[in-house]
Amino acid sequence: MAKTNRRDVLRYGAAGAVTAATAVVAGQELASAEPPPGAGDPKNPLGGLKNVLDPRDFDEVFKGKKIRGLHNQRGRNELTINNRRLALTEISTLFVPADGSPPYVGVGWISALNHYDPVEIDSSRNREGLRKLARKVVDILGDYELADGAADEHGH
Amino acid sequence: MAVRKSITAMTVAEKTAFTNAMRQLKTTSVNGRNYNWYIDQHVLYFSRTSDNISHAHQSPSFFPWHREYMRLLELDLQTVSGNANLFLPYWDWTGSASPFTADFLGAITNGSVSSGNFSPSWGWSLYRSSIQTSFLQRRVGQSASRPTAATVTNIQSYQVYDQSPWNSTVSNSYRNRGEIELHNRVHNYVGGHMATREAPNDPVFWLHHCNIDRLWWLWQSSRGIDTYQPRTGFTAGVVDNTEAMRPFGNGRTPSAVRDITLLGYSYA
Repeated sequence: MAKTNRRDVLRYGAAGAVTAATAVVAGQELASAEPPPGAGDPKNPLGGLKNVLDPRDFDEVFKGKKIRGLHNQRGRNELTINNRRLALTEISTLFVPADGSPPYVGVGWISALNHYDPVEIDSSRNREGLRKLARKVVDILGDYELADGAADEHGH
Repeated sequence: MAVRKSITAMTVAEKTAFTNAMRQLKTTSVNGRNYNWYIDQHVLYFSRTSDNISHAHQSPSFFPWHREYMRLLELDLQTVSGNANLFLPYWDWTGSASPFTADFLGAITNGSVSSGNFSPSWGWSLYRSSIQTSFLQRRVGQSASRPTAATVTNIQSYQVYDQSPWNSTVSNSYRNRGEIELHNRVHNYVGGHMATREAPNDPVFWLHHCNIDRLWWLWQSSRGIDTYQPRTGFTAGVVDNTEAMRPFGNGRTPSAVRDITLLGYSYA
C-alpha cells in the first residue's frame, strides 16, 4: 500500500475492496509519509487526509463534474463539486415518502442548493445518501459551477 | 386594498404591471428596501439567528413570517409603481395554468432563462446566487411533481396548527405538513433557483408563497383566525404568538398578522 495514493484508497474503500481497518492503516501511513495533498490549497478546500477513511467516501465524475464526498470528517459529512465546497447542514425532519408509505422522522442533510429537499445519509439503508445528494446538486447546477456563497455554513 | 387574484384571472395588463413593478424594485429603493433586501432576509432567516430562534422556516412562525414578508413586498411594489391596486397574484399549482409564459414570468422552464421576461437582457439580475451564472435557472418538473388537489385537501384537514417540538419533525401539525408536503415540494418542483436558499431570485417564489398564505387563510377561516401556537411567550427557540418576528420589528408578531382583513388585502 506504500505507493497507493489517496484516490486509490478512496476508490478501493468505496468498492469495499479493503477492510475499514486496512483503510485506517493506509490513511495513517500516507499521512506520515507525505504532506496531505491539497492541504491549505484554496482550490481544494477538503484537502488533506482524513484520520479515518470511510468505505462510503467517493471521488468520481458525474455528468462531467468531479464530485468528492467524505463522511464524518471532523464530525460531519463534507462535499466538493469540481473542488468547490458545498456546506452541508444536518436536520432532523419528517419524511413523507412519495409512494404513500407511512411518514417517519429521520436525519436529513440540506445545503444552499437542495434547501427544501433533505437527503438521508447513514451507514445502512441510505449509505449512498451523500452521493445521491451530490448528484442532485449537479443536476441543479446544470452547466454551471458552485458559487463561493455555497460554502457558507448555516445552522438550523 | 389589494385583491389578490389567481394567475388564471389576471388580465395581460395586470401581468405586465406586476412584472414591471418587480423589475423597478430591483433597481429602486422604496420604504428603505429594494428587491435584494428580500433575498437577504430569506437567506439570513433561514438559519437560526443570534436569538437562537428559527423565524422563517421549520418552525411555527413559518406562515406568519412569510405573510408579513409578502405584505411588505406588496406595499413596496405599490409604492414603486405608484399603483395602489397592484397585488401579489397566487399560483394554485394543483391546476393546469402555468405562470411560466412569455407574457408573464418567462416561458423557459428547462435551464437558463436567457431571453424574454426575467432574463438579463430584459433587466433581471441575480443576487447571492449559489449557482455561478447570471441567468435565472428553472428545471420545472425534473426532480419533483406538483402536489395534487387531494394532497392539499389532506393537509387542510389537520386540526392542530402546530405542537411541540415545534420543528420539522412534528407529524400532527398543519404547519409542518404544509411546509413540507406543499411548500417544500413546489420549491423542488420548479427547481433551479427555486430549489436554493436564495429562492426569491425567481419571481415565482411570491406566487407560490401567496398560494401558501391563501391556503393558511382558508384554514384559519375554517379553524379559527386566532389559532396560532405556541401562545405562552416562554417557548424556547420559537416565536410565540405575541413575540416579534425578526427582521420586521416591534409589534410584528404572529398575532398581529393573523387577520388579513386588517393587513389590507383579500383573496379573490
